[in-house]
Amino acid sequence: MSSAALSSALSAAGVPAEVSEEAIGAVARVPASDLVEALTALRDADCAFAMLIDLFGVDTGEQLELTYHLRSFARDEDAYVRVAAPYDGEVPSAWRVYPSALYPEREAAELFGLTFPGHPNLKRLLTTDEVELPLLRRSTAIRTQEEVHDR
Amino acid sequence: MTPEELSQARITPEGEAPAIVLPKGLRRVPRGVDELATEHLIVNMGPQHPSTHGVLHILLELDGEEIIAAEASLGYLHRGIEKLAEHRRYSAVGTLLDRADYISGIHTELALAQATEQLMGIEVPEKAQWLRSLFSEIVRIASHLIAIGTYGMDIGAMAPFLYIMREREALLSVLESVTGARMMFNYVRPGGVLRDLTPEAEPLLRQFLKTFPGYLEEYHTLLTGNEIFQARVKGVGVIDRATAIAFGMSGPPLRASGFGWDVRKERPYAAYEQLRFDVPVGESGDCWDRYLVRMEEMRIAAELIEQCLDGMPEGDVMAKVPKVLKPPAGEAYSAVESPRGEVGIHLVSDGTDTPYRVHLRAPSLMNLAVVDEVMPGHKIADSVAIIGSLDIVLGEIDR
Amino acid sequence: MALDKLLGENSVIFTKSEQLFDAARANSLWYLSYGIACCAIEGLMSAGGPKFDYDRFGIFHRGSPRQADVMIVAGTVNKKMAHALRKLYDQMPEPKWVIAMGACACTGGPFREYPNVVLGVDKIVPVDVYVPGCPPRPESMQYGFMQLQDKIRNRRKEMAREQRSA
Ligand code: SF4
Repeated sequence: MSSAALSSALSAAGVPAEVSEEAIGAVARVPASDLVEALTALRDADCAFAMLIDLFGVDTGEQLELTYHLRSFARDEDAYVRVAAPYDGEVPSAWRVYPSALYPEREAAELFGLTFPGHPNLKRLLTTDEVELPLLRRSTAIRTQEEVHDR
Repeated sequence: MTPEELSQARITPEGEAPAIVLPKGLRRVPRGVDELATEHLIVNMGPQHPSTHGVLHILLELDGEEIIAAEASLGYLHRGIEKLAEHRRYSAVGTLLDRADYISGIHTELALAQATEQLMGIEVPEKAQWLRSLFSEIVRIASHLIAIGTYGMDIGAMAPFLYIMREREALLSVLESVTGARMMFNYVRPGGVLRDLTPEAEPLLRQFLKTFPGYLEEYHTLLTGNEIFQARVKGVGVIDRATAIAFGMSGPPLRASGFGWDVRKERPYAAYEQLRFDVPVGESGDCWDRYLVRMEEMRIAAELIEQCLDGMPEGDVMAKVPKVLKPPAGEAYSAVESPRGEVGIHLVSDGTDTPYRVHLRAPSLMNLAVVDEVMPGHKIADSVAIIGSLDIVLGEIDR
Repeated sequence: MALDKLLGENSVIFTKSEQLFDAARANSLWYLSYGIACCAIEGLMSAGGPKFDYDRFGIFHRGSPRQADVMIVAGTVNKKMAHALRKLYDQMPEPKWVIAMGACACTGGPFREYPNVVLGVDKIVPVDVYVPGCPPRPESMQYGFMQLQDKIRNRRKEMAREQRSA
């Protein structure tokens, strides 16, 4: 039911989206260029996804995937919007639609090595310049046992 | 929510001017623009500051006593919980997540256990569900006690802290007798809980429940009735409902803004469906309301503990689960209501014995983001009152 | 004074002034309230509460590094925090001591494999007492403080012995 609402809201806004019902709920995959329109449509249409609960990235091994977790209080439902981005790619910032995206976007930018054009303050949030690699990518290794033992 | 309320809650941009434009913190006046150039002062608050509740670092731009802009600078406790979880077995991930929200570790554990159970399709025994609720509420009181005590200390009242520590120790001795640890429990495991209540735990709890209402009265005398305290928190740091929703807040700060969303009620987990409780809601969303909501939640949590003890069913506390957990590939999201708000674990599995990705939805991070918005316009002394009323835990913010 | 009761009235004690000062220092160890992570709840908060009450030993918290004698490093130190930690240590007046509380401060603890975490705070500041545990119980911290007091009281003796052997 929620996937139907998602796809109707998105198609009304003219956003090409691939909506599917997955184990976690309705997931809409949209191209990165249409992300802001998609989120705006979902927030304002009847389904009223008023709150951005969460935003996080997953490194799938070939690309990065950002998941926007939305919640509608009117329908008492959650939905997910997914965009894919290449490594070191760009995803438009969603903070004008949901101000709660400000900090998670900075975090994702830093830990996955992405850029969010339109973000007002994309400084490093968590680490200093001593850390060079994006830490949450799968390719970034953690310390080995030997390194730890030799302290 | 009724449709009228909803339209208030929604941050609908009418035409060109959206209700919420830019967080005020980012709408800063360039320095020196002001003709009567009194210079703005940038003050670093933290990372070592007694009232930032850990290692929060806030940059305050001041015009005299008034805050012009505030910006939180995080990362002083960034220690890779999410990254390391990808290299640990499922049974060891809980150990890491305990240390994320270290004041109420049991809630993060519970979220992880539920997500794992969702993936593997494990049926949790009835008794384990009740124990989960029972311990969630015990830890909720222990955590709110710290929030109230340190809040008093921030405002300048030292005594409440000493009183709350007395009750907290009583609760910690219960937790210790059952879980074996005072803070890092690792008690909730995928499939159930570690063990049943010990024989000494129930009398200790009953004793606590007998004395706690009287102690709550004591706090009300010490803090709530204190005029200096009232003057410092009433009308300070008002977060209205639209702002709270736009910034994704949850937990007591959201409910203090007049929006009674509680995961325990809306998406019942553990034994909450069988328990009767109210959700306290504030009116104006100022620091005073947030404080009162917490006080009220403690009272309700004590009632819930009693209900849990009375209604505790018999049976196993652990389902049959394999020694090495290997959930099938897939995704799961599970949320619980921690003392700080909605703690969610987003778990991605690829079918091996280590998670592919564990993401912790940290309520403190979302609640903290609002300081950029509410702080400007307040006096510098109010900044302490505002941060304290949000009750953040840095371990969870930085992860 | 207690010495009167111990040695009789009008008694005279000869001692080195430094030794006398050290005895005083050992009994009023003011620590910097600088909680970093989980350990701070046990080592600084519960410790100050009524059950453990470190105040009995003259151990009390100060908000400013300039008034503190001891720094309890209670938590995981990462590369961003390391700078602040060193700065705070440098601001404390001599003589000063450091207690590394918990597995994280001792070696990196459960987070040692993360590249952003410093492997033990002794890489940044000299440490006098290590208290293991995750988190250590307030009792362990008490024991740690007693070890530190012994260390301070015997400081002169140790120094003299070193000089003699040199
Ligand atoms: S030693 Fe354990 S309790 Fe202490 S800071 Fe490290 S993880 Fe937290």
